[in-house]
Amino acid sequence: MTLQRIIFFLLALFFMSCSDGDSGKSKINIWHQMHYENRKVLREICDEYEQQNSNLQINLTYRETEELRSNFQSSAMGGSGPELIYGPSDQVGPFATMRIIQPLDTLFEESFFAGFVENSIIEYQGSKWMVGDVVGNHLMLIYNKKLIQAPPENTDELIRIGKNLTKDLDGDGKVDQYGLVWNFTEPFFYAPWLGGFGGWLINDQNQPTLNTAANEKGFAFIKSLRDEHGIIPRECDYEIANAMFLGGDAAMIINGDWSWGNYMGKVDFGIARIPMVSETGLWPTPIVSAKGYSINANLKGERLDEVKKLLRYLTSPEVQLIFTEKINSQPSSLEALTHPQIQENEILQASARVVEVGRPMAVVPEMRAIWDALRTQYQAVLGGNIEPNVAAKLSQKNALKQIRLMNEIQPPGRSAAIIKILMGVFALMGVAYLFKNASGIITSLNENKTAYYFIAPAFLAVFAIIIFPFGYNIFISFSNFSLKTFRNWELIGIHHYLNVFQDPQFYLVLSKTLIWTFVNIFFHVSLGIMLAVLINRTLPAKPILRTALIIPWAVPQYISALTWRGMFNQEYGSINLILEKFLHLGPVQWLSSPTEAFIACILTNVWLGFPFMMVVALGGLQSIPNDLYEAAEVDGASRWQQFWYITLPMLKPVMVPAVILGMIWTFNNINVVWLVSNGGEPSDQTHILVSYVYKSAFNLYRYGYAAALSMVIFSILLVMGVLSIRQSKSTESVY
Amino acid sequence: MKKKIETWLIFIFLTVFTMGTIYPILNIIGISLRKDNAFQSKSLAFISANSGWDSYLKLLTETQFLIWLKNSIVISIAVTILGVALASTSAYALSRYKFKGRQLGMTSLLTTQMFPATMLLLPFFIILSKLGLINSYLGLVIIYSSTALPFCIWQMKGFYDTIPHALEESAYMDGCNHFQAFYKIVLPLSTPALVITALFSFMASWSEYVVAAIILQDPELYTLPLGLKSFQSSLATEWGLYAAGAVVISIPVVILFVSLARFLVSGLTMGSVKG
Repeated sequence: MTLQRIIFFLLALFFMSCSDGDSGKSKINIWHQMHYENRKVLREICDEYEQQNSNLQINLTYRETEELRSNFQSSAMGGSGPELIYGPSDQVGPFATMRIIQPLDTLFEESFFAGFVENSIIEYQGSKWMVGDVVGNHLMLIYNKKLIQAPPENTDELIRIGKNLTKDLDGDGKVDQYGLVWNFTEPFFYAPWLGGFGGWLINDQNQPTLNTAANEKGFAFIKSLRDEHGIIPRECDYEIANAMFLGGDAAMIINGDWSWGNYMGKVDFGIARIPMVSETGLWPTPIVSAKGYSINANLKGERLDEVKKLLRYLTSPEVQLIFTEKINSQPSSLEALTHPQIQENEILQASARVVEVGRPMAVVPEMRAIWDALRTQYQAVLGGNIEPNVAAKLSQKNALKQIRLMNEIQPPGRSAAIIKILMGVFALMGVAYLFKNASGIITSLNENKTAYYFIAPAFLAVFAIIIFPFGYNIFISFSNFSLKTFRNWELIGIHHYLNVFQDPQFYLVLSKTLIWTFVNIFFHVSLGIMLAVLINRTLPAKPILRTALIIPWAVPQYISALTWRGMFNQEYGSINLILEKFLHLGPVQWLSSPTEAFIACILTNVWLGFPFMMVVALGGLQSIPNDLYEAAEVDGASRWQQFWYITLPMLKPVMVPAVILGMIWTFNNINVVWLVSNGGEPSDQTHILVSYVYKSAFNLYRYGYAAALSMVIFSILLVMGVLSIRQSKSTESVY
Repeated sequence: MKKKIETWLIFIFLTVFTMGTIYPILNIIGISLRKDNAFQSKSLAFISANSGWDSYLKLLTETQFLIWLKNSIVISIAVTILGVALASTSAYALSRYKFKGRQLGMTSLLTTQMFPATMLLLPFFIILSKLGLINSYLGLVIIYSSTALPFCIWQMKGFYDTIPHALEESAYMDGCNHFQAFYKIVLPLSTPALVITALFSFMASWSEYVVAAIILQDPELYTLPLGLKSFQSSLATEWGLYAAGAVVISIPVVILFVSLARFLVSGLTMGSVKG
């Protein structure tokens, strides 16, 4: 009785939570990607606006930059989405191309736009799409005043000062303090140097310009900082660099204006331009970009006027100055810039000197392909796998290829008609089959009424959810759905499938995926069963051990995977520290060499996965009657024999489904690979098929290709699944 | 004597293994206690002079943590109830009845797990917005239950298969109908499998993030993982809050497992199975 009451109460609570608290107010939704501290300011500003306009409610939704983009794409395409979207200027290119934001030229008068600094009104293909409220996001040299008095002016000085500051303080042969740290493997953090050597990423015709002497020199320069001069750590991602600078273990860091807030009050820091490249006499050119608001393309009429009014308010000088006061942001409004609050702000003035040498961020979608091609080759140079001149050539070539693929609008091929006909034929065959076997089905329904009653609810729930998305994907996989055809894609045939099978990369990634799956499952199952058997006996502190072993399963994957990434760091990660301290082994470069990075992913996933198998095995062990073992003991069977001939066969019915499902999940587990290897690093060498799909779909907007690849993944798993069911069936009959 | 030594050897082995296992977790706890909002530290120690409860205080007072917690609890419990109810019944039919489409049903359940989930997001969104289920828990609960169901059904079926039919047959003799035999005889014997099913359904919803992110857009409706992820932005993550939130998220699951462990170990009376 009490149980029923609890259930009733919960259901009531559930439905109460479902009801929308409709207050009759008109709502404006803003999606943004502001940093934590900035969000609070935005909320306060919107509260203020709500008070002035009492019939209005502003909902703010935070999403991380990449997710903001993909979620906005999905929802705008579904005909809904937020009224306003706030984000970095480079999202304008894709959004405008997909026609999911609207041009602002006719919505606002010319004098409104004239009130902003030039690069904060984002134009693309002759129209204005975004009003920026801050300009910056640029990289600069930040130095710890305790360790350096004056920042280096040029790279010769940088190397000299850097060498003095790179020290082994406790004499154990390991460097404890570095001259310079930064997230140097990421292309965004390399771009300023490219400018410093006289090159750039992209030209005015939106063509990549990576095959230049400047790029070669840039590559070689960063490599020499690490290998020849040794003033930067061997492995250093954003988080490590940040932590080292905060901890006083690094004298200088190259970081953006967003990081000041984190350093304030913890490090006495100064900011300067990134040191001039001595060889060329040019200042490195950090990318300067705006962030701002765009309006959803689905918005029309009266609502549009309300949103326009809000946009004016949010980008007004008064509001910008509030942001500046609270978080030191660089305003985009000309009026705000003349305010004494800006003129007297020391940090902003220093930062303005950095901006002087900066270059604006290109907003075209092509930038994504360029970043991607650059990242792969740049990391290969740093890994010592290829020479800078080869890397420069290859990055240009790949960028051009990816741009071509991204912009390609494939016309319907001959196979399109065949596909359409085939789809029709399959539908007819399905109907015909049902019709022909109708009587058989009805008799079966009548004979096994109870059985069908029992299974109907679950199957309806599962298939209702899965059928539409699945069918939708089949359609897309035969279509030319991509960036350029976001709103008007059509069926083109088997083009993408041919592409998948003709791509040598596919077979490489497939073999990696298979290794990944089998190695993981082997360790999951063997560790799981072993631990379950060991822990299933009388032991001291048994509940504590059992609970501790289950913990990896309990912690959300996305945070434990990130923790593991930290633990794999070459210099500061605990794994290398333990290897050195207790086993006296040399440090392993886990994250910057392909094989080791892949092993790191597997280790993480083994850790994540064995508790699940252990719990399943533990549940299965309970159903094995004890007298089987007693009888075996009487017959003189050894422990090992008992395990082999009683435990394993009896565990089988429970373990087999878990193993088959585990195999499928591991095959499709994108989280671990993506988070531990930071999206396939180094050089896209750690991808498994799903992360490869994810990259094609969300990085290069090749939805059609990604859908076709997903269908291939699905077929592979289908074959593997059916085979393993058969296999387990044929052995089952033996027992 | 020999047995005692063996027990201790196993104990020592398990202790060492367990310490290795919880090491990354201690790492997370360490981060949550740090005051400098950094993800990395140079030493192997978790707690330094620089440790404190600041992040936890901030989490409880400055964020909407308690609302997220309430939302997550409501959703997870709904998913668990629905998951157990649907899985236990349909798995029973699959285990006990030979009917047309049984094998097909089992296999097709499995196939639903084979499609890369990232590609389902766009169509999910389209269908849910057509049905008006965006920003509603109903859509989320249905999706979560159906993602957990295939495993749960397989798991339950595997377990039912180990229970002899003779038990039900004797129940029929005593005048039970099919449903009563299932409800009164088989179900109580299946407690361990039911516990796993419940635990699994709960887990499937408790820490899920990707689907929740496309369905729930109103911050008032956020679940814990969504709230947690909002501390993370590219290149500027609130590590202290993030880690503290992760620790707090994990606690209910650990508690759940500890309290359910009793069922896993002793929930089944062997005598009646042998009968």
